Amino acid sequence: MAVSRTSLGVGLLWIAPWWLGFMMFLAIPLGISFYISLSEYPLLQPPLFVGAANYSTLAVDPVFHKVLYNTLLFSAAFIPLSTAAAIALAILVNQRLPGQPFFRACIFAPTIVPLVATAVVWMRLFNPETGPINETMAAAGIDGPLWLASPRWAIPSLVFVSLWGVGSPMVIYLAGLQEIPETLYEAARLDGANSVGRFRHVTLPGLSPVILFNVVMAIINALQIFALPYILWDTDPGPERAGYFYTSYLFDNAFRFLKFGYASAMGWIQLLLILGLTAFVFAVSRRTVYYRGA
Amino acid sequence: MTRSTWFMLLLGAPAIALLLFGPRGAVHIPQGRVVVRYWEKWTGVEAEAMQRVVDEFNETIGHDEGIWIEYSSISDIDKRTMIAAAAGDPPDISGLDDRMVAQFADLDALLEIGDLVREFGIDGDKFKPTWWNIGEYKGGLYALPSTPFTIALYYNRAAYRAAGLDPDRPPRTTAELNDYAVKLTKKDERGRITQLGFTTSPLMLGWWHWAWPFFFDGQLWDGDRLRIDTPESRASFLWTQERRSRMGISAVESFESSSGAIEGAQNPFISGRLAMVFQGPWMSNWINHYNPDLDYAVAPFPSVTTERENVMASADVFVIPRAAPHPREAMRFLEFVMRQENLEEVCRAHCKVSPYRAPLERFEKDHPNPFIHVFDKMADSKYVFTCPRAPMFPEISQAMLVVLLDVLHADDPAKVDVAIEKGQRTIDLIVDAHQAKAARRAGR
Repeated sequence: MAVSRTSLGVGLLWIAPWWLGFMMFLAIPLGISFYISLSEYPLLQPPLFVGAANYSTLAVDPVFHKVLYNTLLFSAAFIPLSTAAAIALAILVNQRLPGQPFFRACIFAPTIVPLVATAVVWMRLFNPETGPINETMAAAGIDGPLWLASPRWAIPSLVFVSLWGVGSPMVIYLAGLQEIPETLYEAARLDGANSVGRFRHVTLPGLSPVILFNVVMAIINALQIFALPYILWDTDPGPERAGYFYTSYLFDNAFRFLKFGYASAMGWIQLLLILGLTAFVFAVSRRTVYYRGA
Repeated sequence: MTRSTWFMLLLGAPAIALLLFGPRGAVHIPQGRVVVRYWEKWTGVEAEAMQRVVDEFNETIGHDEGIWIEYSSISDIDKRTMIAAAAGDPPDISGLDDRMVAQFADLDALLEIGDLVREFGIDGDKFKPTWWNIGEYKGGLYALPSTPFTIALYYNRAAYRAAGLDPDRPPRTTAELNDYAVKLTKKDERGRITQLGFTTSPLMLGWWHWAWPFFFDGQLWDGDRLRIDTPESRASFLWTQERRSRMGISAVESFESSSGAIEGAQNPFISGRLAMVFQGPWMSNWINHYNPDLDYAVAPFPSVTTERENVMASADVFVIPRAAPHPREAMRFLEFVMRQENLEEVCRAHCKVSPYRAPLERFEKDHPNPFIHVFDKMADSKYVFTCPRAPMFPEISQAMLVVLLDVLHADDPAKVDVAIEKGQRTIDLIVDAHQAKAARRAGR
């Protein structure tokens, strides 16, 4: 059907708030950022085009390798652990037991605590001499580690702190659990499935679209982790740069070292990394995610 | 009234109260004045001291000459000044740290103020050369000192007595300092440190974690390369490693990571758990506030020999960004601020030294730091050093922090050499990259 020029104009006008916003706040800045990633740009002087120099420097930058390694290691630990913890907690608080709303609130509450407060509390908990974690370990005859001050324990410590915010995906899993028809469980019971079998053959497939969503969100968040390490290590890289992550280095390059071109190149690599991992997860999901009614 | 009317009143009342009694907007600016925007990083009593000077200027010279200073306390002032300058709307005056001057000046972001300073009659000869020169970069003057300071050794006299040391004889060499530190370190039956002698951990310092090679008569930046693998630098790192080995590295690390923030009541020097610390004159403000009964004294930080008194000096500074809309009016205000009676009021409120060669009598008399004369005299040393004037120093500083953290962790001197070598490689990459960029810009 031919669309008249007037009706096209009216249509574009009606969607103008969206496309104007998209152009101004996403498409154009993305284009500029890509150009800057090909430039040497200290912000106070005009960008100087250097081609792929920033990208080739990144390839041999040992700090870049370290922060990339730290970020991937953190993500590899955090994403499966947070997914498993959130599903387990959602299943627990989905049981019809006395005090169920209270437990749901308790698990969700940490997610509404500001990150700074969370970090400060955990810094106290991780205190090697006076913190309750090491005090408890000492009572059991175990010498607790230095946690945040230890190169070996820095990333595990950050994973623990990050798991504190697992209440948010848990709520989504809880909603997903309640969407699974009870009839499927009844049928499974009739077929002789025990609780493990019902979890494996009913709960997990039923939850799979929600798992996909949460895993993608976790990938995005984990690869961009910034605020928590920034507070926990007081803007420093930590011992052996163990508390230094991709976005922290990107931020430092931009705002401390005034290397906006370099930081933009890092931003583009980060974007491609997230896109690549998300695409991989979606590709895997074609065979593993079950959509009811599809 | 209906329930919904009551509900609307309930919601609207706080809003109306806020409008009527809430915080007021910006101060009324008299008509016809040129508004000079002055951004400063200070807050609390420090900001109040400068606000008093600003108010006096606005009421007197500002009134006569049609200038109005709009003072704003800004956090992350370096980043905001930079972003505002990039956007073409910088403040007229910005209060930076001296360590940022080289980076900003190198990017041509600051006005060279030598001529303006002379025109407005600010006499550099009245200031100690240490403080006047702190605003120079490659022969140009880019900053004026606002509140300067040296860093000295604070030591706990009671702890000295308890350890059998003479409280009137602080260490005179770095080797002696290590011996004192070991004697002053106490442990409980579980081997945990209850009192630490001394530490070079960045947790107990400000941003001067890079300073140690200077106390071994070393230099970092020669105007072209920055070296941490010189014999002097290596000696400074080994000095740290040797002391920690003698005190027990894991016990020291445990103590350090358990200690509270340096800026608070949990500061281990203030609470009596750290016997010696390398800090600035403002520390007395904290001591006066949190533990006024602490029996302490201050001495110059020792160097590797007694022949040279190496002294670390730094300052907050005033700069005028290159694109500032009112540089002359800004300098008129700075001339007023730089008058001895005004600047010393601010310096005293900040618990810092005076930048003047001969401070006014009342400056030291009313100063909150009873040892301010020690800090002041240190600035006269022939061997004063400041933050290296390398434009890429913020990045190098982080690389040096990583080297220091590795050294603090090293249980073997060989690991110190590995850390130095690794750090030097990183620093070389940073310097090379900067110089390549400078060459590209020059050849544009």
